[in-house]
Amino acid sequence: MSADPYSATVRGLFATTPHAGDLAGAESVSTSDQDVRIRLSASVEDGVIRTMRFRAWGCPHLVAAAEAACAALEGQAAAGLVDWAAADLMENLPVPVEKTGRILVLEDTVRSLGRALCDRT
Amino acid sequence: MTEGYIYLDYAASTPVDPRVFDRMRECSEATCANPSSTHAAGRLSQDIVAGAGAQVAGLLNVDPKTLVWTSGATESDNLAIAGGARYRAHRGKHIVTMKTEHKAVTDVFDTLAKEGFEVTWADAGANGLLDPAAFEAALRDDTQFVSIMFVNNETGVIQDIEALGTICRQRDILFHVDAAQAVGKLPIDLGKLPIDLMSLTAHKFYGPKGVGALYIADRPGCHVEPILFGGGQQRRLRPGTLPTELIAGLGMTAEIAAGRIGDDLEHLKTLRDTLWRGIRDIEGISLNGDPNGFPGILNVSVDDVEGESLLLALEPLLVATGSACNSKSQEPSYVLRALGLTDMQAQSAIRFSVGRPTTMNEVEFAARHYRAAIDKLRALAPERAA
Repeated sequence: MSADPYSATVRGLFATTPHAGDLAGAESVSTSDQDVRIRLSASVEDGVIRTMRFRAWGCPHLVAAAEAACAALEGQAAAGLVDWAAADLMENLPVPVEKTGRILVLEDTVRSLGRALCDRT
Repeated sequence: MTEGYIYLDYAASTPVDPRVFDRMRECSEATCANPSSTHAAGRLSQDIVAGAGAQVAGLLNVDPKTLVWTSGATESDNLAIAGGARYRAHRGKHIVTMKTEHKAVTDVFDTLAKEGFEVTWADAGANGLLDPAAFEAALRDDTQFVSIMFVNNETGVIQDIEALGTICRQRDILFHVDAAQAVGKLPIDLGKLPIDLMSLTAHKFYGPKGVGALYIADRPGCHVEPILFGGGQQRRLRPGTLPTELIAGLGMTAEIAAGRIGDDLEHLKTLRDTLWRGIRDIEGISLNGDPNGFPGILNVSVDDVEGESLLLALEPLLVATGSACNSKSQEPSYVLRALGLTDMQAQSAIRFSVGRPTTMNEVEFAARHYRAAIDKLRALAPERAA
């Protein structure tokens, strides 16, 4: 059988999305670009991201990347979001080169959320 | 079939009927000889090919001598269109087809345009049908060749071949029909239909891949120039050693189809109706193409759902986002765009195609699963900006 366009990691993250949804009253940012739409929300306590949620309209790689990013960023310092890079995520999933632009929209959204959280505090 | 999946992509290809396999094995064991050889074993191969010709001819109600064996519908289309238009070039350079044809047709027209032919791309209506009056208005005194598909591979739309062919016959225009999705699935009587050239392939109706045929009507002025060279086989129209076993398989495929087209159509209609009933009340859903089209195909779009994610969320259903030949591309289907769908609608389109082995349980599951996939993706998506 020829190569599956989706790795087992992408399939798993796409199939089960515990971080999908919204956080009432939390900081959130939305982005729409490159034929994708993303919204990220995060609640922060003592400068640390306690809970993070996403909504995404786009290809399976984008959904998987958003789920993985939310899971990875919970417990991290909120200040770190402003220079978060998606490079490691893209390598781990992995994301095909033609979809890089979509994942960079996610990267931009994470950074926007980081700036919004900094402004809030 | 791939274990754990539900195959609903019968418009892309079909499983080989076990009786067809048996016939191919039987022929392969009987003789390995080249049907062009004149010795005893070669003559046996010739007899096998002749028998298959009679079977295919029986399905279509034609003389076996009107059939040219090919590798499939793409080659048949190429031979019919390039060969037919070039043969008729002395009568004019204007040729006509539709925007919604298969690439095996449109790419040949593009090639002919580069050779100096003038192409008119006829529009389909929103339902995918070509209006015969509009079609006639597009014809000119120098129109010499027309190609229209019988059943659209993406939408299942059935063109009014009799009306279109009659118009062509009245004007002595060579009329080709790509019937890859129609032969063996719809009753086709070429003794009555005004068709000059017709392409078919075995693998779309439970035969092997790699074999097809081109029908060339036996009437004055109906001929094609060869597009392959290298031998005198098949009256020099299509040189090359005939694949005896594959042709025997196509013959058996045709014989089986001839005995069950009515039952097959009834089965497919029941399945498609059940599937459509199960999903038609989903918000924002639309059926693409004529609702009275071929019952083996149901093509639907939904508003604001991303197509690639939908396809993955639909697993274990094996369906298509467009024609299989086009689905590796990220581009929305040009066929659906030609029907007036937006990029977004075309990109979310799913083609369900059912076949003989499809069961009621499978389509009922498909309807529930499609609904669940739409719900899941809509729940994941953020609202659109106002």
